[in-house]
Parts: sequence; structure tokens; C-alpha cells
Amino acid sequence: MDMIDSLSPDDSGSAPALEPMAMVALDAGRMLMEAGASANSIDGIVAKFARGLGADRVDLRIGYASMAITIGIGANGITRMREVGHLGVNQRLDQELWHLAARVSRGELTTEQTRAELTRLATKTPRHSAWVMAVAVGLACAAFGRLLKVDWLGTGPVFIAACLGQLLRRELLTRHVNVFICAAVVSFLSSLLGSGKIDMAMIAAILLLVPGVPSVNALNDILEGHPTLGSARAVTVAVILIFAAAGLWFGKVLLSHWGIET
Amino acid sequence: MNLTLALLLHQTACGAIAAAGFGVLFNIGFRSLPWCAVSGALALAVRTCCLDGLGWNLEAASFAAALTVGAAVQALRARADISQNALDVVGCIPMVPGSFAAKAILAMFALTSTTTADAAETLIPAVQFALRVTFTIGAIGTGLAIPTLLLRVRVSR
Repeated sequence: MDMIDSLSPDDSGSAPALEPMAMVALDAGRMLMEAGASANSIDGIVAKFARGLGADRVDLRIGYASMAITIGIGANGITRMREVGHLGVNQRLDQELWHLAARVSRGELTTEQTRAELTRLATKTPRHSAWVMAVAVGLACAAFGRLLKVDWLGTGPVFIAACLGQLLRRELLTRHVNVFICAAVVSFLSSLLGSGKIDMAMIAAILLLVPGVPSVNALNDILEGHPTLGSARAVTVAVILIFAAAGLWFGKVLLSHWGIET
Repeated sequence: MNLTLALLLHQTACGAIAAAGFGVLFNIGFRSLPWCAVSGALALAVRTCCLDGLGWNLEAASFAAALTVGAAVQALRARADISQNALDVVGCIPMVPGSFAAKAILAMFALTSTTTADAAETLIPAVQFALRVTFTIGAIGTGLAIPTLLLRVRVSR
């Protein structure tokens, strides 16, 4: 028996299902967090999975980069931790996880079946194509531009810059480029393409990159009793905005160097 | 009062397009996108009425709009078959003051290269923009959270 085994609780006797149960519940929470949910939603879904699979007690700690769960049945209990990956937004996965949680809480699935369903959701949940997303983001940013009193002619460059910025962002994220660097690069490109006027360039570059869901989640988490996670999200939002503004600033400097007044 | 029907319709339509566009980015299914558009349209309609009709400031108008969207989503979420988090946040995305945030950070960058004489002229707008971003995001988040928190209290009783 090595050192790690000697530290493990004895959960192999009367409650052999604790380990897979804890990991399935934890994975459901991790997937939901990576799909852009707030702390309370994650708390709720992990409890549904764990209790639906047979746990009596569930305690969850949600951090920005990791989650830890303690579950118990009778006198037995274990604690497990899981790393959390890049936090994006994927509402279809979020919705599917809630549907699965409802089935698990009704006792329709075993732990193994739930694990298989989670794997299926992680790999098979459909996403919109890159081009559909790019056009949608372009339209959204053009509409943002109109809300900020950009004239109708100015919405054309905003649309194109936002489309190309979104395509570039997706490509960089696929290549696992750091999200902050990605924000600066996309912002730089969009500010160059958006318009000769800095206000329009700002719209093209920044509104595409503004992390709206994390910023609302940050406040929600703080209001709902998770100040540590909320603060971590707020700091991340602030740093993304700083990097995006840095990219915009580089674009502005370059345009000035080329003699284009911004 | 600067509110006209044309302005209201324009802002509402732009809010709907922006919310639906970001709905696609957030991987919401095509069948649920009209609900996102309705959510964004409602947010912008309320905010425009408060800003241009009642003369409120941006923070107060954003709070009222987020509160309205949060309450409407609580009432309609069973019909929309979409997570509450998605619907109310997407509706409020068009109100997130991204351009203020950019202006605030750019003004702070500019502070490093200003002379003592014009430092105050650069600092004041930077602080104003930063405060407006903070208060507006705070107003949106609080407005969205209140209906959820109230419902949870009622359910738990």
C-alpha cells in the first residue's frame, strides 16, 4: 500500500459506490461551470446528481479553477477534488445538464448510465458553426453600434470587423492561446478594421469581447453567498477588459502612425 | 422628454438583434432564439422609457430594465424551455456598458503620458467612466438577482 492509499478513507466496504458517485456529481458540476453557470446553479445541480445517485449528504466547495465535494452515505464519506477548465458559455449544454439532472433525481439512471450520458453530452452537444457565430456576432455588434448612435454607414465596417474578430477569436481559442492575449489580439484587429474613428473601432472591438455573462455571474455569486468565486470572476473580467483596451490602444497608435486621425 | 415612438422601436429592435446575436454566441438553439430577442427587446424598451421618457440616469434605467427582465423570465421560463440564467443574462447583455469600460481604460492609459497641467482633465473622465461601468453592471446584476432571491424565499417558506 503506498502513501496515497494509506491516506484514503475506507470506502471500499459497506459503501463501494461512493467514489464513482462523487466523481459523476463533480463532473456534472464542472461541466455546468465550464458552460457559464453561476455558483448557486452548480450547487443545485451537484446536489441533484449526488442525491439522485443515493448520497445522504452533499457538501460542495466551488473555486474558480477547482471544485471539491464531500458526499456521505450513513457513516461513510469521501472528499474528492476536480480541476475546472476554461470557463466559456454554452447554454445548450447547460440546458441538457439540467434535463439529465431531473432524470437522475427521479432515480431513472444508475451511476454508470449517468457517467455515459455525461460523456455523450460532453462530446455530442451540438454547437453553431463558426460562420453562423461570426455573422450573428457581427449583427449583434452592428446593433450595439446603432444603440451607441453610430450612423447607418458606420455599421458596415463594425459588422465586418466583428465577424472577422469572432473568427479569429475562435481560431485562437481552438489553438489554446491564452484568453487574455486572445482578447488583445482580437481587439487590435477589430480596431484596425472597424473604422477610422476611434468610437466606432471601440464598438467593433470591445463589445465583441466584453465578458457579459462572467460579469453578471460575478455579482450574482457575491449576492448569493459566494464572494470568493465572485471576486475571482470580477478580477478576470477586469483583466480581459484591460487586455482588450490594450489591443485597441495599439490599433489607435498604429492608425496614428499611418496618418489616420482617430 | 425626448421619447418618440420611432426611437422606442429603434432601440427595441436593436436590443432584440443584439440579444439574439449573443444568444448564438452562447450556443442557444435556434428554436429558443426568439425568446432571447424578446428578452433583449424588453430590456431596451424599459431602459429607453426610463432614460428618455422619465429622464432617469443610465444606472437607474438599467436597474429597472434588469428587474423587469428578471421578473418576466421568472414568469415565462417554463414556457421557453431554456435555462433562466441564459434568458435573463442574454436579455441584459445589450445593456452592459462595454464602450464606457473601454473609454475608462483608454483614459487611464492616457494618464501615463499627460503633463501635470492636463492630468486632471484626463483623470476625471477616466474615473467617471469607471464608476459608471461599475454602477451599471452592479445595477444590472442586482436587478436580475432580486426576482430570483425573492422567489427562492417564497418557495422555501
